[in-house]
Amino acid sequence: MSAARRVQQWATFGRMWYLYDGKWQNPLESADKIVPYLDGSHKPIFHPLNDSGDHVVVINSRDIALPGDEWEKRVYFHHTGYAGGATWTLAWQLHEADPTMIIRKTVYNKLSKNLLRRGRLARLHIFPDDKVPDSILKNVSAQMRQLRPVPRRLDHYPQEELENFPKIFDWPKDHVIN
Amino acid sequence: MTTKTWNLFWGSNFVRAPLQNGVGRYVQQLQRITFKFCKTHGGSKGMREYIEKELIGFARENPGVVVYVKPRRHRSPCLKAEYLNGGEEYISTHVNTCEDIVKWVEYLRGRSGYPVERLRKYHHTDYPSIQGPWTPWIHRHPGINIKEYPCEELSAVQPTEISATQKLLELYEQQKQQQEGVGSTTS
Repeated sequence: MSAARRVQQWATFGRMWYLYDGKWQNPLESADKIVPYLDGSHKPIFHPLNDSGDHVVVINSRDIALPGDEWEKRVYFHHTGYAGGATWTLAWQLHEADPTMIIRKTVYNKLSKNLLRRGRLARLHIFPDDKVPDSILKNVSAQMRQLRPVPRRLDHYPQEELENFPKIFDWPKDHVIN
Repeated sequence: MTTKTWNLFWGSNFVRAPLQNGVGRYVQQLQRITFKFCKTHGGSKGMREYIEKELIGFARENPGVVVYVKPRRHRSPCLKAEYLNGGEEYISTHVNTCEDIVKWVEYLRGRSGYPVERLRKYHHTDYPSIQGPWTPWIHRHPGINIKEYPCEELSAVQPTEISATQKLLELYEQQKQQQEGVGSTTS
């Protein structure tokens, strides 16, 4: 194989590292987006026998947003194997204990159920905030788009923009808004 | 039968031709064909008929093929073909008719000498892609190579429609421009 063909091979089958920002994202929908990247089915060269899954680095997993009342209603079941060893943990409790766990479990549930499942999950790197070790961040060469717009709070806007926003009337001096 | 068992005995291969045979020129791969038969036995009746009627014509049409005729007493007839690449093929023609043997000889003449195997693909090309194989960078904006990650611009959702806030600001800008226009014309 010539040098050019060899490099072509590396380029085609090279593993990519994608970054995904979990801030204000629904982990259930995000998992649907992440799973094809982990098992490689987003590539045109995909074949069930070829190992073409990519790495996905999820940041800000502490700031994920479950829909509706899922934080109170969603329950994670665990059994130690001993009698009376069953526990049911609410999503908010699990998230407090480990802010990476909800995304990891969701993705694990959506990966195809075969022997490659654990290996694919091992290519998912989750960080509760945006502090990613340089050894991982240096590999990242692309970023996945978020699924939902991140809402902006009033105190996130710069003061200048707030003052210049068009107003129909001015509040009286003695009017207390908050 | 499992694939493993099949491969143990018969194997599989891709479509191939010796030295791109048939592209531009054709080299006869069959080098020698031996007709073995019995002069008296009934099982060789078709073979004897072939030798009487067809063999001269076959030899004349295929000057590159050595034809051996080998009579042997009280043994069943067969065809033995030897090829340019060293491959051999043996075909029993016991109680075959003359027409059957014509077909078998034609089959041996057109063979390449490679063993008959299951074909993994029914097509082959030396140039699988004109554009070049796919890479993860195809149809990607080259700008992502020099971005600092995490990158807000690449991550944020691209809005499909303008928000109410954005619309309000646009209306305000329009109104302001109109007022300025009115003011400039009057003054």
